[in-house]
Amino acid sequence: MLGILYMRSFPAALPLADSIVNPLAILLLCVAAGIGTVLLLPARQRGPVRKMGGAVLAAAVLVLVALLVRAAGGSDTSGTGPYFWIFSAIALVGAIRVITHPRPVYSALYFVLTVFATAGLFILLYAEFMAAALVLIYAGAILITYVFVIMLAASAQSGDKTPLAGLADYDVVSREPFTAACIGFALMGVLLFLIFDKAQNIPVPPPMVSAGGGDEAIHGTTQSLGQYLFENQLVNLELAGLILTVSMVGAIVIARRRVADVADAFEPTSETITADMTPLSDDPKSIPVYGTTNPRQKAFPET
Amino acid sequence: MTELALEYYLAVGAIMFVIGMIGFMTRRNLIVIFLCTELMFQGVAINLIAFSRYVGNLAGHAFVIFVLVIAASEASLALGLVVLLFRQKNTLNADAWSELKG
Repeated sequence: MLGILYMRSFPAALPLADSIVNPLAILLLCVAAGIGTVLLLPARQRGPVRKMGGAVLAAAVLVLVALLVRAAGGSDTSGTGPYFWIFSAIALVGAIRVITHPRPVYSALYFVLTVFATAGLFILLYAEFMAAALVLIYAGAILITYVFVIMLAASAQSGDKTPLAGLADYDVVSREPFTAACIGFALMGVLLFLIFDKAQNIPVPPPMVSAGGGDEAIHGTTQSLGQYLFENQLVNLELAGLILTVSMVGAIVIARRRVADVADAFEPTSETITADMTPLSDDPKSIPVYGTTNPRQKAFPET
Repeated sequence: MTELALEYYLAVGAIMFVIGMIGFMTRRNLIVIFLCTELMFQGVAINLIAFSRYVGNLAGHAFVIFVLVIAASEASLALGLVVLLFRQKNTLNADAWSELKG
């Protein structure tokens, strides 16, 4: 996409030496990071190997950061201060831990760390409202839901204190780590090469008048964002609310539906009174409950 | 307003997207798989906000709001489905549902 954009606007390609980072260095770093990730992904009985993978990955990231800092030191563009490096390092380390930690709860907590660091990056980009919304929605709402479901579905912890105790097989052994890392880091290499080679040549459009038509461009502030949303994107905003409502109704209906045991389906025991796990209700407006094992519970209470 | 160093933010977004993609492919826990999609959403959101600041209008912010909306509804629906699947087979292993493959 960037390449096409660039080729259309600038037919004469620049030589490779003008790119910020040497493409060969990007390739080598991606290979090193891929090896590190393969070693770091969850697998049984590979404690020291995982530590080694973490070291390789950290070394690759450090070399990339050093190259970038050296390249960024010469230019006087904004947005690459120390805060940018700190926030992006935290975000990326958190992301790596999300996919490499064998325990799902820790994955979710590292994801919270990534969300906070991303919110910091948003603040550096003058998007305060989006940073606040990200923390509220992601760290506050979505992640709490994830942690609840993880704890709901967690198996009982066993007594021994070995690092992988009490974990299910599917958490400990990852699926095809080598293939996935090859594909992923090939994509990352291509993306980084394109970004560092071409992105500096994207033409900057003339600064647009802010949505409210104000005399001073209060760009990125919450006020102008609200004006923009309710003047230019009103229908889309209502549509977003509609999507949220529909998905909320759908989630309630899905989560209420109780699945009958397979054994019960084959030999119906009509006389056994099981504990009614769904509340009995004669309210004709109540939501239908499917597949209940309670014989007194009708499938559709309103019928 | 000095010119923004766009490529660094794009690089962070791309790396985060790729990390999420690798996690999506390798992890076998249903919940962690959905967590990795959220990671990919984050990478895209960084890209959108950076482009919005670079170009100088607020369209990217509106896009990120929709990304958040879709992420929230996806999380609620997906977790409802995960709870449903967990009640049926008492496991979160994605391979337990491999008969669903086409």
